[in-house]
Amino acid sequence: MSAFETIFRNYYRQLFYYALKFVENDDDAHNLVQDVFTQVYEKQLYNKEESDLRPYLYTSVRNSALNFIKHRKVIAMHEVEALIKLKEMEREMLASGEKSLIEKETYEKIHQAIDELPDVQKEVVLLSRFEGLRNKEIAEKLDVPVRTVETRLFRALATLRQKLTKQAFFVLMFGRFPVQTH
Amino acid sequence: MHSDHHYENLIARYLNGECTEQEYKELLAWAGEDPVNRKTFLEIKDTWDAIPGGDLSIEKQLVSFYRDQLERRAKTRISYWKQAVAIAAVLAIGLVSGILVTQQKGVVPASETLFEVPLGSRSAMTLSDGSKVKLNSGSELAWFTDGKSSRREVRLSGEAYFEVNSDPGTPFLVHTNDFTVEVTGTSFNICTYGDNPFSSATLAEGSISLQFAGSDKKIDMKPGDHLRYDRDKRTYRIAAADVESEIAWKDGEFLFRNIAFSELVKRLERWYDVKISFKGEDLNSFTYTGRFKNQETIWQVLDALKLTTPIDYRRITFREFEITYRSS
Repeated sequence: MSAFETIFRNYYRQLFYYALKFVENDDDAHNLVQDVFTQVYEKQLYNKEESDLRPYLYTSVRNSALNFIKHRKVIAMHEVEALIKLKEMEREMLASGEKSLIEKETYEKIHQAIDELPDVQKEVVLLSRFEGLRNKEIAEKLDVPVRTVETRLFRALATLRQKLTKQAFFVLMFGRFPVQTH
Repeated sequence: MHSDHHYENLIARYLNGECTEQEYKELLAWAGEDPVNRKTFLEIKDTWDAIPGGDLSIEKQLVSFYRDQLERRAKTRISYWKQAVAIAAVLAIGLVSGILVTQQKGVVPASETLFEVPLGSRSAMTLSDGSKVKLNSGSELAWFTDGKSSRREVRLSGEAYFEVNSDPGTPFLVHTNDFTVEVTGTSFNICTYGDNPFSSATLAEGSISLQFAGSDKKIDMKPGDHLRYDRDKRTYRIAAADVESEIAWKDGEFLFRNIAFSELVKRLERWYDVKISFKGEDLNSFTYTGRFKNQETIWQVLDALKLTTPIDYRRITFREFEITYRSS
């Protein structure tokens, strides 16, 4: 396997999910990541040390995503405005230079942290994220109320967060976000 | 006042794309009112994102990467527009926001602008002449521009509702594989998905004239007319349209009257970006009339269907469902 393909296989998934934190749809996220890999390919950056390449990849995805967002022309917007605003909230945080867990941690560490979760929590994480099941389906499968599944999922993520982040606090953001009142 | 517990559940639903529109608003209000809430929301979301999801083939992406490299060399890419919609998880339940975005992909002046709407989404846009177009799931609209001239010409595959600005001097042309529609200023719907056995045009207001591919004859349509072209038999029929249900999709509604089971399934597939197979008794002997707003999830729709039809459903894979006839 060529050096390029190794890098591609090792990083595509993380970079895709990272890009998806900025843009709204899968296609755009794929395009952004593919473009970054074009740079890697054309400039032969795959020969670089991984310790240099890794930050380069995330920074490139972040910069091109922010650039993409900035230059897109919003022609029309309709439906689920609240959802768009929640997304903006997240984007603003990442644009401030705050690092995502995806960027900070390797998959090995994330998997390991999941492994160490209490069984009831691990179960819902595996079923929802890896198997893509709905909360409702998980509830049916485990024969517990949907609320319980939701609570377990939240708790599992909170536990994971704590395990994975030594300094578990984001820089709090100030400034008001537009809040919908009705 | 709700307990924190309530918001924990809300966040869990958000992550799995299961919030109703009302719940999105509630979550936004909660996250917006207090930095601590915001931090909780963002941290939990970030943790969720960091766990790799299941449905992503890296090998497919690698193939696509190499294909792009070849194309890049083979031709200079024209610039094109890309369209962005809501988060992947949200696509699953058809809750969608359409945002049109531009992305430069080369240096050659634009000659064709392409709008794409993925399955499970809908989008609205305004063309440079002020005409408005709403595009239904899985549709593509190409808009030709050649710099100075005021040419108004688009190519459509899929389904679109047009509100064309009046300009008698410059007719607005919509090309499809089956026919071309010529208009000056009017509102109409065209449905021309490649995988449908038919394509159709419905006129809400004004007048249009329609010309089949490879024919000289022009057919003039009046408001309320619905033209349906049968692709196999190569025949067409004009009847009085049920305009409301033909174009309900443009307002985010899913409205249907007396449609066959197979057609219902096809519409649900596009609307929710899922695959639905069905077998058993001749389900096609059932016809359906109903109305959904787009906040229902596919689960709720299937559950509703189950109440009215003797069927069972189960999920096979990530986005695949199987419907079976339940004999009583």
